[in-house]
This record gives sequence, C-alpha cells and structure tokens, in this order.
Amino acid sequence: MNNRILGVTDFLLFSLIVLISVFGLILLYSATNQDIDIVIKQGIKLAFCFVLMLIIGSININKLKLLTPYIYLFCLVLLVVTLFWGHDSKGAKRWILFYGFSLQVSEILKIIVPMMLAWYISNYEDKEIEFKKLIISFIIVFIPIAFIVKQPDLGTSLIILLCGLITLFLSGVKNKHIKYLLGLFLIVTPLMWKFFLLPYQKQRIMTLIEPASDPLGSGYHIIQSKIAVGSGGFFGKGFLNGTQSQLEFLPERGTDFIFAVFAEEFGFFGILILFLFYLAIIIRCINIATRAKKYYAKILAGSLTSIFILLIVTNISMTIGLLPVVGVTLPLLSLGGSSLLSVFIAFGIMFSVSRRN
Amino acid sequence: MRKSFLDVGRVNSEKLFARRFILLLTVLSILSLLLITRLYYLQVISYEHFDTLSETNRIKYIPTPPRRGIIYDRNNIVLAENSPLYSIEINLKEAKDIRKIIESVNEEILLTAQEIKIFHKKKLKYSHHNSIILKSNLTDSEIAKVLAIRYKHDGLDVTASLLREYPYKKITSHVLGHIGYIDKRDLSILNKKKYQNSKYIGKTGIEKYYEKQLHGSPGYKHVEINARGRQIRDIDEKPAIPGKDIYLTIDIELQEYMYSRLRGYTGSSVAINPKNGEILGIISVPAVDPNQKLWKLDFDQEQVSKLKSPMFNRATHGLYSPGSTIKPIMALNGLHRNIVSSSQEFYAGPFFQLPNNSRRFRDWKPKGHGVVDLEKSIIQSCDVYFYMLANNLGIEKISSFLKYFSFGSKTGIDMPHESKGVLPTNNWKLKNIGTNWTDGDTVITGIGQGYFLTTPLQLAYATSIIANKGSIVIPKLNKNSTPIRSNEILEKEDFLKNTISSEDWDTISNAMYKVVNQKNGTAYWTTRNKKNNISGKTGTVQVYELSQETDVRSKENMPDHLKDHSLYIGFAPRENPTIVIATVIENVGGGSKYAAPISNDIINYYLDKIREKTDE
Repeated sequence: MNNRILGVTDFLLFSLIVLISVFGLILLYSATNQDIDIVIKQGIKLAFCFVLMLIIGSININKLKLLTPYIYLFCLVLLVVTLFWGHDSKGAKRWILFYGFSLQVSEILKIIVPMMLAWYISNYEDKEIEFKKLIISFIIVFIPIAFIVKQPDLGTSLIILLCGLITLFLSGVKNKHIKYLLGLFLIVTPLMWKFFLLPYQKQRIMTLIEPASDPLGSGYHIIQSKIAVGSGGFFGKGFLNGTQSQLEFLPERGTDFIFAVFAEEFGFFGILILFLFYLAIIIRCINIATRAKKYYAKILAGSLTSIFILLIVTNISMTIGLLPVVGVTLPLLSLGGSSLLSVFIAFGIMFSVSRRN
Repeated sequence: MRKSFLDVGRVNSEKLFARRFILLLTVLSILSLLLITRLYYLQVISYEHFDTLSETNRIKYIPTPPRRGIIYDRNNIVLAENSPLYSIEINLKEAKDIRKIIESVNEEILLTAQEIKIFHKKKLKYSHHNSIILKSNLTDSEIAKVLAIRYKHDGLDVTASLLREYPYKKITSHVLGHIGYIDKRDLSILNKKKYQNSKYIGKTGIEKYYEKQLHGSPGYKHVEINARGRQIRDIDEKPAIPGKDIYLTIDIELQEYMYSRLRGYTGSSVAINPKNGEILGIISVPAVDPNQKLWKLDFDQEQVSKLKSPMFNRATHGLYSPGSTIKPIMALNGLHRNIVSSSQEFYAGPFFQLPNNSRRFRDWKPKGHGVVDLEKSIIQSCDVYFYMLANNLGIEKISSFLKYFSFGSKTGIDMPHESKGVLPTNNWKLKNIGTNWTDGDTVITGIGQGYFLTTPLQLAYATSIIANKGSIVIPKLNKNSTPIRSNEILEKEDFLKNTISSEDWDTISNAMYKVVNQKNGTAYWTTRNKKNNISGKTGTVQVYELSQETDVRSKENMPDHLKDHSLYIGFAPRENPTIVIATVIENVGGGSKYAAPISNDIINYYLDKIREKTDE
C-alpha cells in the first residue's frame, strides 16, 4: 500500500470510521435534545482523537512494541493519580480533571492491558506459555484491575479482565490451563456474589432479571430503554422524532443508552444498516490481523478486533436488558472523551499494524 | 513441524492463533446473531406492545372539570356563582417533606396556626385526594411569593380554580346549601367518571338536590409530557360541558326582607305563591355564611357554637306544635263532619274539663270568652271551643282529616331532605310512646298542642290549601320543574274540593280574614296596613306547662328557653291570594306579638312591591 496519507494505510477502514463517527455526532444532536454545544464539544474531541489515531497509525509497530511497557507503566501512574487526586462523582473516583477535560484512565486500559500482554508474551514467541508466564500475565492484568475495583468500578474491571483473557486466549494459553481457569471461575463467582459485591451492584443484576420489581428505581433505565427500542418498530420513528429520547424518558441518552436512541428513531432496518457498517469495519480489522507478520502485531490486532466486537455486543445487550448496566459505551457512537480516545488508539494501532503489512 | 491444537511440544503459534481467532470470532458472531434475533423480537414482533407503552409514557390524560351551573333567583339575580380562586396546594405523593414545605411557605407569607392545623386534619381525612389545599383565596403578592419558592419543593403548587361564591351569604344559606370537598362517603355513591377531577360536590340544599344538573360533565385534554411531567403540547381536547344553570322561584328581595325581619331570632319563615307552589322566600335563622367554609376552609367553630344550631334548616326540619294556627282546619273538620255548625253557639268558660276528670284545660284568656260561635272562636282563638270540638271529633277523625292537608307526610319540595312531622294516632302513640292514647291527648290536639308536630314548610303548604280552598299545589324551588302530582295527591284534592262544601271553606276564610281585619281579632293590631286584605291566624305554643293552679300567664321571669313559641299563618289578598306565609319564632312569646306582625309586614312588603311594579 503506497497510497497512504500520513497514518492511513487502509483507506476503506478509515472512510468507515469517519462515516460512523460523523453519524455519531448527528445522532448525538438528537440524543441531547438538539443541544448543539455538546455536539460541537464532542466534535472537537473527535477531531483530536482522529489526529491521535493518525499519529499512532504512522508509528512503526516495532517502535510501538518497544514503547508498550512504558505506556503501561504511565497508565498505572495515572491510576494512582486517580486514586488520590481523582474527581469524585456519584460516589466514585474515576476521573482525572485536566484543564476542563476529564480522563477516565480505566477506559484506555481496555486497550493498554491487551497491548502489555501481547508485548510480554511475544517476547517468548517460540516457547509455550508455562505456569510461571501465566501467573505473570495475570499480574499484568490484575494490577490495574485492583486500582479500578477500588474506584469503585466493577463493570469496567470485568471488561478489562475479559479483554486480557481474550489476548491470553489468542496468544496460546494451554488448554489445560483454560480448563483450570474455567473451574476456578465456577468456584469464585458464587463466593464473589456473597462476599464481594456491593448492594447496588447486586441490585443491578437483580433488576436485570426482574426489571418490573422496581419500575421507578433501578429498573427504570432498563424499562425505558426497552420501550424506546421496541417502539422504534421496523422503520423507526424518524430522526428527532423519538418520543422516548426527545421527551427524556430515556436516561443517559448520549452515553450508555445511545443505541436506544438510534433504535427508536431508525428502527430495526436502521440497526441492520448500522450492523453492516460495523461488520465492514470488523472484516477490515480481521483482514489486518490475519495478514500481520509479527507475532506482537498479530496478537494485538486480533485482540483489538475481538474487543471491538465484544464492546458492541455488551453495550447493546445492556441497552435491551440482557446484561446489567456496566457502563460500557457503544464504540464510535457514544458521547464521552475517554471511551472515544481508547477506540481511536485501537484504530491507530490497527493502522500501524497494517502499515507493516 | 507438528501442528496441534492441543499444544504439545513446540507450538506453531501462528496456526494456533488462527484457530483460536476463528473460534473467538465464531462465538462473538453467534452472540451478535442472538442479539439481532432479540432486537427483531423487540422491534418487529413486540412492536405494538412497546408502542403502546411509549404512547402511555408520553401522553397524559387530563380531565377538565366542568363549570358548575349558576343559581339565579326568579328575577335572574345571581345567588350562587363561580369566581376564580388561587390556592396553595401540596401534592401528597410528590412532596418529600411536607413539614419543610409548610415551613418555607410560612416564611414567605405567614400562615396561621389554624391553617396549618386544618391542613393536617384534611390530610388525614382526605387522604384519597392527591393534593390538599394549604391556604386559599391568595392575594396577588402571596401568589408571587409562593411561586418564587415553588421550584425548591416538589409537590408545592399554586392552583387556580373556580370557587363557589354565595353573594347573599347567610340570607340564602339554608335554601342554597353549600358545596364541599368530596369525602369518602360521596365517593362511594357518585359516578367516578363524572367526578374525575372535581373537588367539590353539593352537600346540602339546592346545591345537593340539583347536583346532577349543576355539576355538568367533565371534558379531557390529551397532552404530551416529558419525563419530568412538564406539558409540551396539547394533542386533542374535548371541552367540558358546563353544568346547567338553575332558576329558583325565590324572590331575593323578599328573601332579604324576610331575613332582615327574622335576624336575631331563632326560627323560620316560608312564603309560597299558592297558585303555583313557587316558594317566594324561605328562611331559617340563625344561619352562617356558607362562603366561610370554602374560603377559610372551615366554619369558625367558635362562632357556630355560640349560635343555636345554625346548620339546622328549621324550615324543612324544625318540628313545632302548630298551636292555634291549626284551628281553622279543626273548624273545617267540625263543619264537614257536622259536629258543629257555623251558627251554633257555646258557652266557653275559663277552662274545659273531661267528664269524671279533675284536670282543667285552660283557655289562654283567664276569664274565658263567654258565648262564642265558630267564627268568633277562630277570631279570638278560643281554646275551650276547640277542646270541646276535638273531644267530640276524637283523634282518628282529627288525624284522618289533617292527612288531607299533608300533615305527617313530606310536602315533596325539591330539597334533599325534609321532615314528615308527626301526625299522631292511637297506634302511633302505642308504637312510639308505649302508652294508650287518652282523651286528654285528643283535647290538646284540638289547639295544636301535644304530640302533633309540623314543620314551617308543612304549615305554609297547608295554609296554601286553605287559601286555594282545596286546590293542592306542591311547593317547589326550581322555576322550571313540574312536581309530579301523585294519585294520592289527586285523591286528596278531589276530596278537599268536591266533598267539602264551598260554604265551609268560606266560613273559615272569613274567620281568618276577621282575625286580621276585625277589631277583636288576635292579629288586628299586628298591621296597620289593611290594603292587602290579609287573612291569618296566630298561634302560641306552650313550651312549658304551667301548674294547674296558676291562672296568671305572666312570663316576665321565665328563662328564655321556656318561653312560648310564636307562630302565624297567613295569606293575601283575600280574593285570589298570591302569597301564603307561615312563620315560627322560638321562645319569644305570643303569636300576635312576634310572628304575626313580622309575617304581615312580609306580606305587605311583597304585595306593595308587586303593586308598585305593575303601577310603573
């Protein structure tokens, strides 16, 4: 590929990202009750993220690999900063305030943890992952998770754990070990429920099973979101005509529940189109991953692709009440700086990987 | 190079990656497909269900209460209307801390302890209402002050409503009745659909009797609301159908005059047009201002307790012995049954005695009236004559005759309640008192004392039958209503008009005329204005029986509550009467001293006024 402009090595992928992101701004206009100020602010963040993506895309993947442990350590430092000087909101310390912008470091770790794991394992490319390496891998995963659980943000912790497990799985953990891990998971989960989960976290899971039990309390979000999605019908109510979102029955419209706004206004037909676009992005990413030559690049690209799908599935499941509300945003469409940043870092890496192809 | 999924020995990591990547993507694809299936289920299969939910979410149905009908008098003067009223309301469901809300309202506009107390009382009593009024009848500056703090408190609001107002206050209070908060008992009987958003319902009087017409039918409005309940726009509307206005037969000028004459007394006065049964004026005193209950949320209990049961409508419920006012009908009974004739003379001494009985039934005139005939007995209200007459008739013949004048049964007036009174017979006494009827009981019934009890309305009604010489016209308050004349009424009328001779009617009418217009009549001195040819009959009802030995009826030192009731019935003009009146004044003294002059003034006021108007 010689027709690359700056970091853009895959023009089709780039076009798809631009298309969905710009559409995201339009959708945001509807989701925020036509608040153009929020849309402009998001547009600026988006522009910044694009630039960052292009810069990362232009870095040689080998250099990126060398930088990986430092980036990981830098993120750990930011987590410590969050822990001590972070911004308190709704009883959780998750953000660092920086000149009017807030950064949620845990969002970025969804990308950095897989990166670090890929770096660690790719250093031993030709050897199998024995027990000691597995333990160190888990330490890499669990150090940031420990900080994030403390914030507290169990939802994001679980997502980061899943991201880490995806990378480990792809990089060739022994089947034997996978079986042990599954067994451990089955034992630990009930114990977690009993001793570890906070009441509000249990509540979230319970309302998922029976949302009508508390229709105005924690079940409210799920009920209103399902109504929004369901009442969209096949063709939707039309742009700016979604009553659930325009009349503000839908909570967290810009962030967690943006998909409900989309589903209400554009219907099942719109969802199919959106999925086609996502599918196109995913196919391009799979293509990049399978064609990657270096082990690090391959594992990383494969992980990021899988994580991208995982985030979409998780967010939509949340929106229609199949998963508890764990605070996962919809990649490329949701409002918010940190999640946007992590998604564009991921795409930057993908461009960097494809560059070496 | 050996390649194995179960990594034995050296691993071809690239191949393993490919396999695992495919496995992972497959799992994620399956999850995505499940998600699409679920979305299809929600959006396509369950669309209608969720569409309905979304519509009910955003569309609010607001019933609009109808405007209550206005009540007018016979000359289209407003007696009850609706005026705008602003109140502070607290929504019990939305309010988080009611005490805190009251506190901050108090800081702004100063509530009285009474208002706060009444609010808490209402909160318990009307817990089925969403909102309870804290203070009503706000001034403009109070409205502004409360609106300024409204945003701080959920559930605090200033509402505008139409409030009932009775411009004639006490003067019309018993006849119009009043409206009040719908209470739990009302809820159990009313049509809930019609009263969806109504707060008030007629509680007494005309307001209650004509509730259905006055209330009207509620309309509704569909509005779009957002999640915070704020109205965004109207979708459709069906206006409320206002209640029907009601035109009463009351002449408010006459009513005002009647009230002014009775004010300060305890009692009642009823004026009827005998031609059509229209009630021209109906008063019960004492009375309280019904506006108070609505504007100040309750009556001033202290005021109420000072008065003698002011809520009691004496005109329809007050039970009084008719006293001598019953004598014309007694006389008519005697004539009709040929027990006496109009020319027959008797000697009437100071008292009457039954054979073999030492009890003396005294005449009001200590020395007696001497030789009297029927006419003179009515004119001078000779008790002994009627003792004898009653004794000769017997109670069964007395009762059966009084029935024709509707004593002992309801008049059929368009009021929610009225008392039947008591028309005693032997059976009645056995059942209610437990002892046999005695001849003595009969004797005193002859002068309207004893067990026989009537309401002022019944007395006026009976008097209208005398004035009409037998024609029965059912009393009514609604100008546009036509009371149903039952077979019973038609039979009674047939008897009164056709079986009783017109000479007999004339005899008692003439006697009643002379009561007012002949110098020795008991009511002669009660009015100097003789132009209107009033006929009447006084009555004095003993509340306290004097000892057998005392001849003197000096009541100077009698405590108020033992003083006689003063009664009067009358009609005018003599030929073709247009007004009938019955007045009862409690515990003041003789009929000729109080009830008669007041009643005759009322009659003269009315007839003079009509004459003036026709002269113009």
